Order: sequence, then structure tokens, then C-alpha cells
Amino acid sequence: MIILFVALPLIVAGVLPLIGKVSRRVVPDLLANAVLLFLLVYAVAVGRPLIGNGPALQKLTWLGETVNLRLALDGFSLLMLLAISLVGLCVTLFSIDYMEHYGAKANYYALLLIMIAGMNGLVLATDLFNLYIFLEVAAVASYSLVAFGLGQDELEAAFKYLLLSVVASAFILVSIAVIFGMTGSLSLPAVARALQDLKAGPVVGICAALFIMGFGLKAALVPFHAWLPDAHPSAPAPISAVLSGLLIKVSGVYALTRVFLNVFGLTPALSNVLMSLGTVSLVVAAFLALGQKDIKRMLAYSSISQVGYIVLGIGLGTPLGIAGGLFHLFNHALAKGLLFLTSGSIQQATGTRNLDEMGGLAKRMPFTAATNLIGSLSIAGVPPLNGFWSKLLIIMALIQAGHPVFALIAVLASVLTLWYYLLIQRKAFFGKLNERWAAVKEAPFWMTASTVLLASLCVGVGLFFSVTIKSWIQPAAGVLAEGVQAVIRSWGL
Amino acid sequence: MIVQTALLIGMVLFSVLAIFLKDLIRAAISLAVASLLLGIIFFRMGASYAGVFEISVVAGLITVLFILTIALTNTGEEVRESRLANVVFPLFFAVFVVIDALVMKGLLQKIPALPSGPETGTFGEVLWKGRTLDLVGQIAVILAGVFSVLALFRKRDKHD
Repeated sequence: MIILFVALPLIVAGVLPLIGKVSRRVVPDLLANAVLLFLLVYAVAVGRPLIGNGPALQKLTWLGETVNLRLALDGFSLLMLLAISLVGLCVTLFSIDYMEHYGAKANYYALLLIMIAGMNGLVLATDLFNLYIFLEVAAVASYSLVAFGLGQDELEAAFKYLLLSVVASAFILVSIAVIFGMTGSLSLPAVARALQDLKAGPVVGICAALFIMGFGLKAALVPFHAWLPDAHPSAPAPISAVLSGLLIKVSGVYALTRVFLNVFGLTPALSNVLMSLGTVSLVVAAFLALGQKDIKRMLAYSSISQVGYIVLGIGLGTPLGIAGGLFHLFNHALAKGLLFLTSGSIQQATGTRNLDEMGGLAKRMPFTAATNLIGSLSIAGVPPLNGFWSKLLIIMALIQAGHPVFALIAVLASVLTLWYYLLIQRKAFFGKLNERWAAVKEAPFWMTASTVLLASLCVGVGLFFSVTIKSWIQPAAGVLAEGVQAVIRSWGL
Repeated sequence: MIVQTALLIGMVLFSVLAIFLKDLIRAAISLAVASLLLGIIFFRMGASYAGVFEISVVAGLITVLFILTIALTNTGEEVRESRLANVVFPLFFAVFVVIDALVMKGLLQKIPALPSGPETGTFGEVLWKGRTLDLVGQIAVILAGVFSVLALFRKRDKHD
């Protein structure tokens, strides 16, 4: 029942605000966490065996009639579902304590679950218009979650995010309309097959450009990144973790990758465009991150930079590059989720996000400091943490494919990444304790528990990287490396 | 052909007016007229259901919501905007029209004729049987909209 990944969060989201009238906190907390825990267990226990012999396809009947509820689960979608439910669960755990002072918790969880349902629907979609609709589901929920604090900054950031996101959606929709006009179909296998036969190069080129602009805006690749450094820091910390850890990857990177590698087919020209966009993003955003004083803003720029690595790896198009890109996508979801959550703990304890005002917090918040350090080192690519292996794979793939310049840039940008993460450590956690924070205490239990869980995963995935790659990354990379044939042959719906 | 061109030009003009008019009510009405013209174009091209939705929902319902909101929140002050928009927008618009005139005709000829795909049928069949997952997505979008309104217009209670 693949549909459960979409239906369950949606149904629970529908009843949560009603339950919230009876129980303001406990039941919404329990329900939201139970849904994410169930989805995680379901993805691991049921999802993996399901795709053992190729992609699992689902057609549903509704009251005895066959309806067109078609979903497909393959290695790539399963990896995304795993990342979504894993980070989603940590976020809902963190929210138990963190969202107390915001109020309207039931509504918050309802919107969060709709966003999860939207992302799950997007990764299971077998049709371009379904993909667009679920992109919008996740986006509409995320606009209001960014503004959830109701402060002026939050509202302004949400509005800016909404406007740029609508532009992205418009590009995507125009491209889908032109593709429908050319091929007469929206289903991914049918479109992939039709595009192989058509001789409409310039029009396909324009569609590709529109998709790059649309999904590039969603993924916040430079130069389409202007909205992200405002939107992500302004949201409540758990939402920042979902936006940076998951949403930009699902509605940007996943959609871009699925369309270009499995439907259009990766041409050398397209590969060059994606690699150049990735490289520009990883370098420009790393420099921009260096100059930030706001910890969440620095993390937001870091997300743009790391998405650059992912797109560089996947855009390379070799099996090793794709595996590296996907592994980095997974690792970045864990580590950036962790870093945004710890920044939320700091903000709640001190009331500030300004790094210059912090100092010596490790003495007062040892768990937060330790987990933040693990997340920072992981993203910076320090062995033996998970981020090291994924960056290593990307760099090895670049050298193997004969792109030493790109590899050198990736290594140098990694040094920059380490530099600005060490800045966070030095300014926030080490040094002399600022007198203002003498009374600061460690974050409450559930907030600490969720960050410790994510940090353990960063260490665990790093230590057992070969198991992770073999069981989760290889099946996903295999689907992408197979190109359009993966969809045409196996998704013959 | 002349009627179609006139309708298209009218639609573009009213869309531009909707952006340029400083008075929000007039801007909302211009947008409604633009979408009414688009609805008529849909009818003339044989997409009658799209025309019905365009006119009833976009030109009708959404305009009512716009005007209601403006009437409830308007303090009588003119909206202050950056003057840059007055220069940048016409420039972009002119560039767009020129590119459109130069490129679009040649490009459209390169698009093969629409083949009749498997996803055809009566409106009801397509909506309920062909596009069922879209309906699930639509329900999710509506839920997200409703909960957003509840969340963003909430009153903070004494516990918060």
C-alpha cells in the first residue's frame, strides 16, 4: 500500500485541528510523532522488500471502479521517503518542546503533515502534473509554516518566498504544458518514450531551460537562491530543518533529477549546465556564508552550497557521481536538519541568533554543543563522519570522469565550509562564557533527544557507510544511471 | 482570427493594467476582465469546461474575495511603491513582446501536432477516473489553505 505514504499524513492532518480543540498538546504531539514513526518503519520494513525485484507500481480501485491512482516506488523514491520520514520524525520529536510557546500546535502539526504528504506524493508520482500538484501541496503548507511565528520578519520572508516560489511553479507549469502539447501525455514513461522519437530539439531545449529555472528556484541554486536566506532562518527551527533538510531537495533536486535523468535523458550539454550551476552554487554560497553573523542565515547559505555539491555529483551523470550526489543528499538532510535544530535550541535558550552575542555556550549546553559539532564536521566533510564519504565519492567521480578542475574547486570549497563551521563553533560554543548566558540551561528533553538521534545517525552512517551505500544508495543510483530506460521499461503502466 | 487577436490583446492589456493601477479595487477588476477574456478564448477554442472554471472561479469568486478583502482592510491610502517598477516592468514587457514576435511563430511550427493520447475521454471520466491523484492533491492544497488561514489569523491564548 504505497498510497499510505500520502494518505496517512493527509488523513491525520485533516483530523488534527479538530482533536486540537479537545487536547491542545498531548494528543497532537503523540499523533504527529506516531505517523512519522509509522512511515519510517513502513519505509524500512515494507518499502525495501517491495522494490527487491524492480519498482513497485500501484493501481487502486475505488468502490469497485479502477481509478487512476498510480504510484511508483523505486530505489530513488525509497531513498527520498527514508530521508523524509527520518528527518520528519526528528523534527516532530523536537517540536514537542520547541513549539510550546508558539501556540496552535495542532494546526502546526497539521500543516507539517500536509507538507510531508506533499513531499511523499511528489516522490511517488508517475505523471508530470501529479508531480506539479504535490509540489504545490508541499509549497502551500511551507509558506504558512515559514510565517508561523507571525512576526514581521517571518511574514515578510514568507511573502518573498511565496512570490519567488510562484514564479518557479509558473516556469514548471509552462514547461509541462508544452510537453503535453508535444507528446499528448503527462505520464513519465509515455513522455520519456515520446521524447525519444520526436525531432523537436529546440522546443525540448526550451522546456529543459524552463525546468532548470523552475526546479533551480525550488532547489535555491545560485543564481535562483535569493529567497532562501530569508525564508529558512525566519521559520521556526524545526521548519527550517525540514525546508533545508528536505523540501529544497525533494521539490528541487529530486524533481530536477527525475525529469532530466529519467525522462529527458542526460545529454552532455545538460550535464555541463547542471555541473556548472552546481559548482557556482557551492562556491558563491560558501563565500556568502562566511560573512554571516546570524547563525541560521549562515546555515541557510551553507544549504545552497551543499545543494551545489549534490547537483554537481548527479549532473556528472556517471554511476559513481550519481551515487555520491545521492549519498550527499541523504547525509546533508541528516546533518543540516541537526544543525537547524541545534540552532533552534540556542535561540530558545538565549533569545538571539547573532553569533557575536554568543560565546562559551558549550559550558551551559553540552549536548547541544556536541551535537552541533558533529553536524558541522559532518557537513564540512571530516572523516569518519557521513559527509566525508559522500564528498569523497563526488570528488573521486569527478577525477575519474576527467574533470580535475571541478574536483579541485569541490575540495577548496570544502575547506571554506570547514572554515565557516569552525567560526560557528568558536563564536557560539567555545571561548569565555558571555555573562548574559550564565543562567542558560541545556535544551529540554525531547529537543535534546532528537538532536542526539540525528547526531548518532551522522556518526553511524559514517562508520557503516558501506552498508548504507549498498542497501539504500546503490538501488537509487542504479535507477538514475539507467537513464530513460529505467522509466520506460519498468514503469510501463 | 480578428476576434481572437482582439481578445488576446485585450487580455494582455487588462493584465498589464492590473499591475499598473495603483487603486487596488480597479486593479482587481482589471484582473477579472482579463480572466473573463481568457475564459471567452477558452470557449472559442473548444475548452468549454476550462472556460467555465476560468469565468466562475477566477473572474467571479476570486474577484469577490479580492474586493471583499480590500474593502475590509483599505484605509484609503494609496499604495506606495518603488518607482523602479514603473521603468523596469515596461522594459521587460517590451523585450518580451519583441522576443515573442521574433521567436514564437517559428517555435510553434516546430511543435508536432497534438497526438490523441490515451488520456482522453469525457470531462467526467478524465476528472474522476483519469486524474484521481490530482484530486487527492487538490484536497491537500485546500486543507493546507484552510489550516494556513486558521494558523496565521490565530489569536494567541493565555497559555502561549
